[in-house]
Amino acid sequence: MALHTRWSKIFKDMWGYRTRSLLVILSIAIGVAAVGMINNAGRIIQRDLYGTFAAGNPAVLEIYVSPFQKDLAKAVQGMREIDFAQARRVESASVLGGNGKWEDIGLNVLPDFNAVQVNRFNLQSGVSTPGTRQMLLERQSADKLGLKVGDEVTIEMADERRYTLTVTGIVHDVYVMPFSLLGEATGYISMDTLEWLGEAPYFNRLDIVVSENKFDKEHVLAVGNLARDRVIEPSGYKVFRVGIPGIGSDPGEHWAQSQIKGFLLILQIMGILAIFLSGGLVINTVSAILAQQIKQIGIMRSVGAVRHQISGMYLVNVLVFSALGLLIAVPLGLLGSWGLVSLAANFLNFDVGPIDLSLKVLLLQLALGLLMPVGVVLIPVFAGTRISVYNAIYQYGLGGEKEGGWIEELLSKFRNLSPPVMLSLRNTFRKKARLAFTIVTLTLAGAMFIAVFSTRASLTRQINEIGRYIAYDAALSIPGGANKRTVEREALRIPGVNLAEGWANAVAVIERTDGSESGEVELVGLPGDSATIDPLLLDGTWLQAGQPQQVVVNDDLLDEEADIRVGSEIMLKVGESKRTYEVVGVLSKHLSGPRIYMDYNAFGKLTGRQNQVDVVRVLANPGAPGSSAQQELIAKQLEERFQNAKLSTSAASTRNTFFEKFTDVFDIILIVLLIMAVLLAIVGGLGLTGTMGMNVLERTREIGVLRAVGASNLAVRLVVVVEGVAVALISWALGAFLSGPSGRALAGAVINAVLKADLSYKYSVSGLFIWLGIVVLIGVVSSLAPAQNAARLRVREVLDYE
Amino acid sequence: MNSMLQNGNGHKENGNEKSNGNTSLIELREVGKTYHTPAGRFDALKGVSLEIKAGEFVSIIGKSGSGKTTLINLITGIDGPTEGEIFIGDTPVHKLNEGQMAAWRGLNIGIVFQFFQLLPTLTVLENVMLPMGLCNLYTRAERYDRALHLLELVDLAEQADKLPNKLSGGQQQRAAIARAMANDPPIIATDEPTGNLDSRSAEAVMELFEDLVARGKTILMVTHDGDLAKRAKRTIALADGVIIN
Repeated sequence: MALHTRWSKIFKDMWGYRTRSLLVILSIAIGVAAVGMINNAGRIIQRDLYGTFAAGNPAVLEIYVSPFQKDLAKAVQGMREIDFAQARRVESASVLGGNGKWEDIGLNVLPDFNAVQVNRFNLQSGVSTPGTRQMLLERQSADKLGLKVGDEVTIEMADERRYTLTVTGIVHDVYVMPFSLLGEATGYISMDTLEWLGEAPYFNRLDIVVSENKFDKEHVLAVGNLARDRVIEPSGYKVFRVGIPGIGSDPGEHWAQSQIKGFLLILQIMGILAIFLSGGLVINTVSAILAQQIKQIGIMRSVGAVRHQISGMYLVNVLVFSALGLLIAVPLGLLGSWGLVSLAANFLNFDVGPIDLSLKVLLLQLALGLLMPVGVVLIPVFAGTRISVYNAIYQYGLGGEKEGGWIEELLSKFRNLSPPVMLSLRNTFRKKARLAFTIVTLTLAGAMFIAVFSTRASLTRQINEIGRYIAYDAALSIPGGANKRTVEREALRIPGVNLAEGWANAVAVIERTDGSESGEVELVGLPGDSATIDPLLLDGTWLQAGQPQQVVVNDDLLDEEADIRVGSEIMLKVGESKRTYEVVGVLSKHLSGPRIYMDYNAFGKLTGRQNQVDVVRVLANPGAPGSSAQQELIAKQLEERFQNAKLSTSAASTRNTFFEKFTDVFDIILIVLLIMAVLLAIVGGLGLTGTMGMNVLERTREIGVLRAVGASNLAVRLVVVVEGVAVALISWALGAFLSGPSGRALAGAVINAVLKADLSYKYSVSGLFIWLGIVVLIGVVSSLAPAQNAARLRVREVLDYE
Repeated sequence: MNSMLQNGNGHKENGNEKSNGNTSLIELREVGKTYHTPAGRFDALKGVSLEIKAGEFVSIIGKSGSGKTTLINLITGIDGPTEGEIFIGDTPVHKLNEGQMAAWRGLNIGIVFQFFQLLPTLTVLENVMLPMGLCNLYTRAERYDRALHLLELVDLAEQADKLPNKLSGGQQQRAAIARAMANDPPIIATDEPTGNLDSRSAEAVMELFEDLVARGKTILMVTHDGDLAKRAKRTIALADGVIIN
């Protein structure tokens, strides 16, 4: 059935101006696809990662206890407040990977692999129960170590004895941090195997699931304390630590949940921004279409069209754009969500189920894709179709525009510019509303682009600030501690090492004035004049020599103990020992959780561990950490020397390895943010292309006159391109202005999401100038096609143009 | 075809049945039009009164700036008077708002512009069908047949499926005349219809107008060409916004 003529006109107009139509369709598609991608990815992560996590009965509490047997777990499980209590032993060892490199491995021992009740893992291949001299490996560990079922693997225990085990199973465990992040492999062995490895057969951790209010942190910790006070310690065991699994996580949450949430929120905001910019582009383009067709609107009114008929035509036009945009956006968003989820899955070690599109996300995309474009053009369409027949036919384009304002006056002062350049500059400001829309899209794109770079700069600064607390070349932990003098002496024997410091660690609680106790706080004993820490003081001073009653706390502690400030007196309790100290300084957060620093000797008096250190930190050149290669060499030598001296079999860590790990994580985040910023820039570029095309169409007669008075092809092109570049430069300047606050907001959101730390903001000047180059390029590229069209117009054609 | 006016329901009124007792189809009473421009106030028409009967072929002649385009724009409702009254049939068009005017005009006046003003993305046939659809006249099949018939009348049936830019100026103007007749309006108004045509095409257009008059249409034609003006039954001469004959 033939279409009514006016609908036929709409479709023919769309096809006739295919490029412009495509620009609008793409701009709708990009915004809607971005929203679909982010929402769908969030839903799939919820389903696949969090779903898998929740399905395995995750522990909400970990209690580290002195050596115990599984009866204790049974006793704790007998508490009314607790549903499950599972015993676990985690023993550190080293494993020889397929590449011949030794890696740290955490060996997990469970009472019964056939009846794992908490933190249940899934078998991927092989058998789920390791026999004696057999081991299961977590799949990411197996992959990184280059091992598979059936392979023999060498394990070295703390006493340096090596054993060969057979890998009999590969499992997927979402409850441990992946090897790529932790830097430590995860394996599973039976208690028999542990004994065979020369270790005493006991458990050292309880994984707890509470009966009620599983997600209530206060309640969960209270249950943990109850278990300690009612069952564990009365049974003669010592509790070392009661805590929530993960890093700053809430109970029942995946360890990366809050980081993922924060990151998705940032992407969501950028997606909404893309929608907003798409809307601006749609307004711009539809306004230009109306402007171009003013005469036709007048003619239609002269032959009987009433306003609602004409408005209806253009609204249907936009609906068709929307529908076509959706045809692209929905599959594109699905593809994007697959990409995003795959990236996350690879990083966080989870399996991705079918990449499908939920009805909710589809409806969201449909609503945005259909309602947003129509909604934003309602006013321009109704305003544009209001024009009288007389004005449409006789007044349009005949100086009906308002007289020049302050911009035109300002431009008129530039007398030394060539007329074509002057023409370009004046043309730039001729359609102020259209210019405003175009500039808004490019400005926001620029502000976000520079904000991403500023986020990177801020993250780098943040990491560097954190790095001040690990100002060493290499560090080695000494499980169980060792004599300070021995440790430092051994470390100084390493060629190239000129400084060695032994630090001690303990866990303390703060006894408040009302008699209650704080949560556990890490206590660090160190030399007051330590050269391997360059603390960033937020308030007060560092430890002073000869002042053993002083302590310095970090800002994390103040989040939990808000009454503490510089000058406060606090009572620290370690076991039964209690002493009072004065807080003299507050340090910045540095990924450690609540921490208190005190002079080593004072530490010894409080803890009863005089002359014992738990970690050694070494430097080749005090005040100047070495290169990665130097640090790796020192670390290796440190490991070997301490193994030979039977002091430690741990793997040493280097400062640069710490930076690399964080950089890897942040680079992924920044790449995704940059892709979003580039999408915004594309939308901005599309907007400018559309605007330039419309501007050329509307000034066809003017271009004809230029050609008639001698303008060459190049001159005509330049008029257009200079205008495009002028618009780009204006948007750059405005974007630069906005990029300060936008950068601060984005950087703050990312750092809070990932590091749970406060922002240390750094503006990226390089980002500002990189965007300058890009936006000028956008200005030139967006103008090339319209410029070419302008140059192709023949004088006779354009002077006949109506 | 007849010269009866149509109201918004497509019902026709006899132009003679007027409440003011006059038998004129078009009546202007002391009509004036003033424009306010950056250059100052400009009185395009001053106190113009005239009557045009149904079936007349009237030319409106005058030099550039005499007010002839303004006069025809006021009659067709494209523009509104600053003072005075305009009746077309019983309808006081000076009181209609833009929307009412558009709907009324689609049924009662066919306009032929100097520069044809065909919609560029519609074929000639579709341009002729457009007013019928906008005014909800005829069924779809009837619109098609009627449009083709109108194009036959103007000798353009073979160009029906072409876009306007494929036609000569004369052909485009004939297509515009066919469009003006789409809703069978009693009045055809045209401003310099041959201004953009060669003499042969101009002659063809004038012959068409004469034919339409013979069929009972009332035609108003603005022109600066004295020879063309003489072909109308009656000439109204304007100078400086007033009728001088």
